Amino acid sequence: MTGFMTLLQKEWKEQTRNFKVLWIPLVFIILGILEPVSNYYLPEIMKSVGNMPEGAEFLWPEFTGEEIFMSLLGQYQFIGILVIVLAFMGSISGERKTGTATLLYVRPISYRAYFLSKWIVLNGIVLASVWLGFLAAWYYISILFNSVNALEVFGFIATYSLWIMFVVTAVLAFSASFSTGIAATLSLLLTIGFQIVDSLIGEYWTISPWKLPFYATSVFNGNNDAAGLWWSVCITFIAVLVSIFAGVNMSKRNAAKTTV
Amino acid sequence: MSELADVPWNLILPLLVLQFILMIVALIDVIRNKRTNGPYIMWIFIITFGSLIGSIIYFVFGRKND
Amino acid sequence: MSILLEVKNLTKSYSQEKAADNISFALEEHTSTALIGPNGAGKTTTLSMLAGLVSPSNGTIAFHNNKTSDIREIIGFLPQYPKFFPWLSALEFTEMAARLSGVEAKKATLEARKTLEFVGLGDAMKKKTSAFSGGMKQRLGLAQAIVHKPKLLLLDEPVSALDPAGRRQVMNLLKELQAETTILYSTHILNDAEEMTDQLLFLRQGALVEHGSLEDVRTRYAKPRILIEFEKLEDIQRFKALTPWELTVTGRTIAIDIVAEKVEMPAVLAILYKEGFLIRKVERQTASLEEIFMEVAVIQS
Repeated sequence: MTGFMTLLQKEWKEQTRNFKVLWIPLVFIILGILEPVSNYYLPEIMKSVGNMPEGAEFLWPEFTGEEIFMSLLGQYQFIGILVIVLAFMGSISGERKTGTATLLYVRPISYRAYFLSKWIVLNGIVLASVWLGFLAAWYYISILFNSVNALEVFGFIATYSLWIMFVVTAVLAFSASFSTGIAATLSLLLTIGFQIVDSLIGEYWTISPWKLPFYATSVFNGNNDAAGLWWSVCITFIAVLVSIFAGVNMSKRNAAKTTV
Repeated sequence: MSELADVPWNLILPLLVLQFILMIVALIDVIRNKRTNGPYIMWIFIITFGSLIGSIIYFVFGRKND
Repeated sequence: MSILLEVKNLTKSYSQEKAADNISFALEEHTSTALIGPNGAGKTTTLSMLAGLVSPSNGTIAFHNNKTSDIREIIGFLPQYPKFFPWLSALEFTEMAARLSGVEAKKATLEARKTLEFVGLGDAMKKKTSAFSGGMKQRLGLAQAIVHKPKLLLLDEPVSALDPAGRRQVMNLLKELQAETTILYSTHILNDAEEMTDQLLFLRQGALVEHGSLEDVRTRYAKPRILIEFEKLEDIQRFKALTPWELTVTGRTIAIDIVAEKVEMPAVLAILYKEGFLIRKVERQTASLEEIFMEVAVIQS
């Protein structure tokens, strides 16, 4: 894989200098803190803002720490994925369009090194962001709600991380295959769109990458469908590998489309 | 004034600090580069008054990378 | 001289048209070759194929005395409008370019510095490329193309976008490089081609329509002629009556085709002298490269 280390450095420099290495983690951490804090103070906020009739008492459901984790996952599933897709949709297609890719492609690099260097740096940033977000949430949950079992939290994060890796790989492979606009559309369809489909009619099957976030939360509920979880993990792993393979090949095939 | 004291600052402060860092990073980037999609003054307003969402949409849509 | 590169029947067809049509030529080591043709003649397509960016629909590109199958290992390529990552400095970019072409880390830094000095960016090497002017980008483009000392340098319109001073400087740099490497460059500015070329390749609508050394092409299309500019318009008629030659008249000037009329200067001068014509100018002229270009690459189409 000629040039892999150099490309890895280039990719890291890029993500540092365009601040993605800073703002993406910040967004996930802020969301991670916001969720427990706002849920904890929601009754008070409503009381002070809403003009409720004297004596009226709303019964606010008592949330558990586990439930806060689940609702944070809901935030990540929408806002988080939107951020990932929008931030990285042009990773390869953008380089082709502006023509900056040309001076890379005329060098004896391997497209495997080219694609994997991006894959590693992007996954590194996004996974670190998700982890930091959940850890921050965990800390706040333990103060404001109840302390959640560490083993459960790590199981939850690990399962969800595989799903996030699937999302990042898909975005990157789409960017290798299509123009930025199409890549973004397909990425959102595949992640958020299919997620909605799966939640509507997904009861008919138990194995799919889109079930992974659900299985992640099931760590807390205890309604463990171990077979479904492990098969979904396997399927997602395979999907990631296939996407990498496709991404490498499409990067190579589309090299001629770079602006000269 | 007792209400202010009731606010659990030790919990809220980190949140405010992080949001502030995000905003400052976005502002520094705008002012240093001045290469934005659309007038950069507009982005300064969006970042300053749009809090979390403002900074995010600047980084996603406002930043010019070429 | 040994042959470095041999191109045979190179063809690239897109759905309808052929961007390159059955092009064959060879490049000798340490020579420079100019690829000439109007816009859309297939110059960029041809260079892109040689650079390994575009795969040919047909034909072969063979490097002699080389074990590698990856064409990109021995070339340096400068596109017409080189685009750089705006967040890298010139030095960082050139270093990266050298590393990607297989130069080891320490040497890459050293060579990058040297090359940037060579192209005149010594003072700007720490600057981000986003702050570079067009001329500076062109120099940086040249630097990244030569930093790894490629055997073959492919340049797409290397000086077209520059002002006269910048053009002069880059041409001088290229002439210096000629000693160490083989150069193939495209241009539509014929003065440049005239200045630095061992071989000319004329492209028209994707096809190679004429090639040879500058001298060869010149002789083939020279059309030597004698031009006489008279002081008085009515002298043209008088001159016509005195000579058996076919004359082309434009204003006060007549042209005599030397080859067709089998005539040379002394005979013409003798008549002018004997009859006492008042003359503004007498000149023997051969076709300029521009005229040849018009005839070979443009008009026939």
